[in-house]
Amino acid sequence: MAAYIDLIGIRKSYGASPVAAVDGVDLSIQKGEFVTLLGSSGCGKTTTLRCIAGFEMPDTGTIRFSGEDITYSQPSERDMRMVFQDFALFPNMTISENVAFGLRLKKMRGRYSEAQIRARVEEYLSLVQLADHGKKMPHQLSGGQKQRTALARALITDPAVVLFDEPLASLDANLRKAMQVEIKRLHRQFNKTFIYVTHDQEEAMAMSDRIVVMNKGRIVQSGSPEEVYSQPNSKFVANFIDRANILTGIVETVDGSTAKIRLASGATLSAPTNDATISGKTVGVMIRVDRVSLGEDGSDQRNILRGIVAERLFLGAKNEYVIELADGAGRISVHERTAGAQASIGDVVPLCVLPDDIRVLAA
Amino acid sequence: MEDAATPVMTTASVAVAESTGISPGALKAKKIERARMLFWLLPPAAWFFVFMILPYCMLFYYSLGSVDYVVFKPGLSLANFVRVFTTEPYLSVMLKSAKIGIYTAILSSIIAYPLAFYLAFHASEAIKRYVYLLVIVPWWASYLVKAYAWKTILGTGGLINASLLGLGVIDHPLTLFLYNEFSVTLTLAYIFTPFAVLSIYAQLERVPTSLIEVALDQGATRMEIFRKIVLPISIPGIIAGGVITFSLGFGDFVAPALVGGADSIMISNIVINLLGAAYDWPMAAAIGLIIIALGLGLITLAHRLEHQFQVRF
Repeated sequence: MAAYIDLIGIRKSYGASPVAAVDGVDLSIQKGEFVTLLGSSGCGKTTTLRCIAGFEMPDTGTIRFSGEDITYSQPSERDMRMVFQDFALFPNMTISENVAFGLRLKKMRGRYSEAQIRARVEEYLSLVQLADHGKKMPHQLSGGQKQRTALARALITDPAVVLFDEPLASLDANLRKAMQVEIKRLHRQFNKTFIYVTHDQEEAMAMSDRIVVMNKGRIVQSGSPEEVYSQPNSKFVANFIDRANILTGIVETVDGSTAKIRLASGATLSAPTNDATISGKTVGVMIRVDRVSLGEDGSDQRNILRGIVAERLFLGAKNEYVIELADGAGRISVHERTAGAQASIGDVVPLCVLPDDIRVLAA
Repeated sequence: MEDAATPVMTTASVAVAESTGISPGALKAKKIERARMLFWLLPPAAWFFVFMILPYCMLFYYSLGSVDYVVFKPGLSLANFVRVFTTEPYLSVMLKSAKIGIYTAILSSIIAYPLAFYLAFHASEAIKRYVYLLVIVPWWASYLVKAYAWKTILGTGGLINASLLGLGVIDHPLTLFLYNEFSVTLTLAYIFTPFAVLSIYAQLERVPTSLIEVALDQGATRMEIFRKIVLPISIPGIIAGGVITFSLGFGDFVAPALVGGADSIMISNIVINLLGAAYDWPMAAAIGLIIIALGLGLITLAHRLEHQFQVRF
């Protein structure tokens, strides 16, 4: 069954560049979904978004929107509005005029009376908490207020899909958090499809129903925030999403759905796997910093590693310990609550990890 | 406070420091800064004084005097200024010069706008450099030569007439192209349009692409984008370019002399005649001062308008 928005084999390169900005992207988005395209700059996420918006046309590939081919249609012909990183407010218009822009265009003529437009602008301004700012000019607003104006301007024409191109990248950290909450609230309230582009993995995790991790013009992994966090399918994703410890080991045996992996330090770890062919191969072993703890609790369900505390960093609610494993097997960072287990630099400490918290990755 | 610094301070600076609340260190820094600023300011200030202030004072001095036969007689009379407004043809010529100036400004803006628009929104970097060169290169040729070129284009034996005759559209050469306000305006606009291009382009360049995209996204037509966004933002550039082209057109004397007719004499031609042939320096000085006052007024007005229309991002 076709999804709400379908990207099929999208490829796009700019000018004479031999490297494609988007290099074969297939993506299906469901109605009402909050999907985030996540990746570092140059990964093709913005180009993909601009193809969906209609500001770019792909070299090859098809974009379908509610069953219709929109690959080459104009931006205005798509029931979508884009919110830009630089806010893109019209500097010669007041905030109210900016928000009303779409309603006052020729193509909307006769749809709303001037009184209705004014009422609707009021409504949308108070929706984004700018009720008293309508008469101001854009330069008189703060960054957050400007972006809220842009949001109101996008939503007021009631599009089916709202596209966000790094909308919070130019705001400072605190404001960014507040705006994340606001955008999520608007998503719940309007139940529209939101497609969001960011390079900030924390932002992606906090807001999205689904994260699409991109690298070098391709989709690397697509899944819920929990999935990409705890079950990354590659070292790239493991490293890109939050903090991960990645060790290298050799798979000794695969027994059913459990692999025994020997590290360079000699320690063996049990980890879940569904791939029996990895037996005898070198693999990557990912352990999240919050899924490993100091000390051993005696239960034999757990994997035990030993190492020396090389560094201890106080992070407020928690301490970060950097543990040097024996025989150059690598370093492991551990986040331990400040109130929990303690250790000092130079201590030899045991570490324990549940098998289910270990993820086996291709080397 | 700052006990260690006190012994090296003079009593005067201590008093200043105490009364103003500025620390002695800051006072010293200010002194050094002022000395440096003076050093850099002196050459331009001297230039400005010798070549601007002094001549203006002399101009003013001359304008209050009179001429007895060909000898200048110092005086303290405003009679010359009164004459400008009461005796023909000064005022009417000045008005006509202003009219030519306005025509020049309008024609230059109309020619300049599409070019500036193209440069700001559609041209690639390479094309921009190329067009920029095309705008600058004509300035390597003398203004006189370029004005003269129009004579050969517009004249009875010129390019246009020859073409029209050749095509059989007309049987006698037309005289309506040359030696009138049209030819003067055309020549002036041709020469000064680059100034309008540059000021409009500077303003249009400030419009980010995302503004156009967001408007397209909302469903605005090209015309609506131009009318509601691009044009309002570019108004200060049009004003700035208009003031420059107007001023240059208003004060020009080459174009009216070369391609203007008997009745297209402009105020600068009159000033030149007063200075040279008529030897009436006081009258020339009075006209000069009135033009300068007009210019100052115009620039102040334009500045205010530009400020009013200038958008902030």
